[in-house]
Order: sequence, then C-alpha cells, then structure tokens
Amino acid sequence: MRKGLIQATDGFERIVHWSLALSCIALCITGLGMMYQSLNFIGDMMGGLKSLKYVHNFTGVFFGVALYFTIRMWWKEAGIFSMPEDLEWIRCAGGYLWHVDNPPEVGKYNPGQKMFFLAIAGFGVIMFLTGLMMWFPLSFPPTIVRLMYVLHALGFVVIFAFFFVHLYLGTIGSPGSLDAMLTGWVSRAWLKKQHPKWLKEMEHEGTLVVYGEEKPSAKGHH
Amino acid sequence: MAEKTKLIDVSKCTGCRSCQLACKQWNQQPAKQTENYGTYQNPPDLQSNTWTLIRFQEIAEKDKVKWLFRKDGCMHCTNAACVKVCPSGALHYTDFGTVAVTNSLCIGCKECVSACPFEIPKYDRVTDKIYKCDLCLSRIEADLIPACAKACPTGAITFGDKNAMIKKAYARAKELGGDANVYGDKFVGGTHVIYVLTEKPRVYDALPDKPSVPFSVIVWKDMLKPLSLLAAGGVLAGSFLHYILHGPKLPDEPGKEEKGGE
Repeated sequence: MRKGLIQATDGFERIVHWSLALSCIALCITGLGMMYQSLNFIGDMMGGLKSLKYVHNFTGVFFGVALYFTIRMWWKEAGIFSMPEDLEWIRCAGGYLWHVDNPPEVGKYNPGQKMFFLAIAGFGVIMFLTGLMMWFPLSFPPTIVRLMYVLHALGFVVIFAFFFVHLYLGTIGSPGSLDAMLTGWVSRAWLKKQHPKWLKEMEHEGTLVVYGEEKPSAKGHH
Repeated sequence: MAEKTKLIDVSKCTGCRSCQLACKQWNQQPAKQTENYGTYQNPPDLQSNTWTLIRFQEIAEKDKVKWLFRKDGCMHCTNAACVKVCPSGALHYTDFGTVAVTNSLCIGCKECVSACPFEIPKYDRVTDKIYKCDLCLSRIEADLIPACAKACPTGAITFGDKNAMIKKAYARAKELGGDANVYGDKFVGGTHVIYVLTEKPRVYDALPDKPSVPFSVIVWKDMLKPLSLLAAGGVLAGSFLHYILHGPKLPDEPGKEEKGGE
C-alpha cells in the first residue's frame, strides 16, 4: 500500500462482492454447458453433465446467500436513485458515451452503477427463485414450471450482458477502478474523477480513511 | 430411411392390455405396486417403467354406458418439445422420425417432463433419469414391428411407412363415419403415432385437443437462447468500440487536477 491512498471498500464488502461474482461466473459457465449441447464438454471436467447439473444447483444456493448479503449491504447506497441529479446524469449518460463538459458530480455510486446493482439484485432474486423451482419441477404445475424456464433464460440474457459491461468498466474502461475491489485502496485522483461528491462527503464527515494517516472512527455497514 | 408410423385404431381395441404387457416384457420393465381406485385402468398413469397404458373411460349415455379404450404413450412428434429442451441430447430423433432416449446421457433435469404437451416422459427417482417409449427402436432397427403392435390380437395397433399409415387411417375413419377422426398427423409437425378415434379428441382423458410445442419453450429456446449470445456479443463489441473511439475514463494527472473543468 502506498501512502495517501484512500480506502473505498472494506474487507466485508470485497468478500461479499467476490462471493457473488465468482459464483455468478460459475453459474454462467455451467448454465451455458446445459444451454448449448455444443458446450456439454464443460461437464467433462466435473465428471459429466449430471455432475455439472449438481455443481450448478449447489452453486446457485451459494449465490443466493451471497446475493442476500449483497442486497442487505448495498441497497441503501446503490439501490435508491437520488433525484434530480441522477436523472441529469442519466440524460448525459454520465459523459461515458459522448463528450460532456461538466457531467453531474456523483456520490459513492453513479446511476449507471445503481442500474447495474438493481438489475443484478432483481434478476438475481428471479434466478434464485426460478432456479429453485426448476430444481424440483415435479412439485409444481407444468404451466408454472414452463414460465420459470422462460424467466430463468431472460435473467441470463440480462445478467450475462451486464456482466461484460461490468467487466469492461471495472477494468480497462475505467483504470483504477479494479483496485477498489481488489485491495480496497484507491488514489485520490481516481476518487476525485469518479466519485467527487463522495470524496467531499467523506472529507466533510471526517470518515475519510487515508493510508498512513491516523484513522478516524471505524465505519461499517452493519 | 423411410419414416415409420404406428397407427392405433381405438375402434378395434378391446382393452385386453396385451400391448402393455408386451411393452414391459420387451423392455424388461418390472411391475410396480399398484392400487385399486375404482377403474380397470391399471396402473393409474404412465410411469417411469410403464411406457404404454390403456386408459379406460366409462361414458354414461341415456340408457347405456359407453366404454372407451385408448392406448396412451409417446406420440413421437416431428417437432418434439422434449428434444428441443433436452440439454444433453439424451432425447433425440431417429432415422425413422421417432424420438428415442439415450439413457446414459440423461442428467435427470426433468425439463422434458414439463415441456411435453402430452405429459409423457416420466422421472425415476432411483436412477435420476427419465424414461418413455422409444417405439421399440431396437426392434424396428432389426426390421421388426414394435412389441405392442406384435402383441395386439385385434389389429388395433399396426405399424408401417408413414404415408401408408396416414392413408390407412383416413380410409378407416371414413369407413367408421360419425365422429370418427384421425388424430396426430396435423400438429407438432405430424406425430409418428396416430390414432383413429371414434369420438372427438376432447372426449378422451389426457388427450390435448390441439397439442403444440408450448409457447414458453419457443420463447425460451428460439428467442432468449440466441438473444443471450447476441446481447453479450453486442456488449463486447460495444465495449471495444468505446475503448478505441471514446477512450477509457482516466483520472486527471496529479498536479493538473486542480485546473480541471470541475
């Protein structure tokens, strides 16, 4: 760690994030193995497609637990839009798509991140519930179960597409962002560019944790 | 290879259940404990080891009772919902146009159970696999007729080339007159098991009037499935274009940040 870096996430946040992320990726890969017969070979490394089914199902349970903590931890910060500044940000796409002279200053999460959170939270819950019913399809009427497959596939379309948006903007599309989820420490310049309002808030409230400086009272989510 | 079809003429069926027994025998399926629930229909429904079943129905008319016997089992659709949803290729089409199961590939996901418009595939908890009639694939490959057709003493079950059987079915329905009709050749791309029914289809138990591949299966497999790859591919392409055209969002360099346009 370098002196002057600022703490953006705590250990709990990062563990929950990666529990959700890694189980989500595992679910996408094993799900694809069942969705496309040409990808059935993914099951080979797990001892066959039948084992892959069980890996998928039990990873789904883990995903459900991770999702519970994710929503509990982030819904207040990332699940609620603050008007009108968020609407203003959406109107100019935060300056991500075309040149904007002065995009509205964003706090801890910009509206794009909030939309991503809401998509993952909403469709994540749908994936968990529909997946659970698809695990025990004989306990429900066929017409209901048929609908579950459609919703599960729809959730996949949304989450799989959003995953790549998240991957791009979390890495090369926004250099410096990955550190927030790896070590948790980011540079002041990055914070000033990405979340200026949050930086000001933390400075104002005295909750800013700077590496090498004396820590103010510990902050947490719980 | 020519498509084959099994014709079931219910007007000739006496409900003897020779077909049910022959099916068990050829496929080496044991019987299961059953129960008397006030009908001759036994077992009560198709099971993982009962791939064909005579459904008994009593229809009360003014001063008499009419008996209906219908041999139920896989219809071997041309557009089979079960094949469409099967993730492993366990359910597949054969050269005869029928739908067979490779049990070693079945992963017991039960997707076919809810997809089938006729509710045919049955799940076995012990082996964690599904089972259904394969129209005696091992027999028809050896140029034999299915066990049920072989065992039928009245000629109610016959087997042959698809077109010949359809022609025969229509001739028989015409001969019977009244409500007699041919069931099977007009939906799900044409089934490879067709009936000559003496009553309108809706009179029979567990026989859908207008069966089709469920709309949900079409949305799922023909729309959402390709869309998932299209959407992800679009995002990847879009991200690449964004990177080379718009460029990443970089923090301002130290020292210059204060003069930035904020």
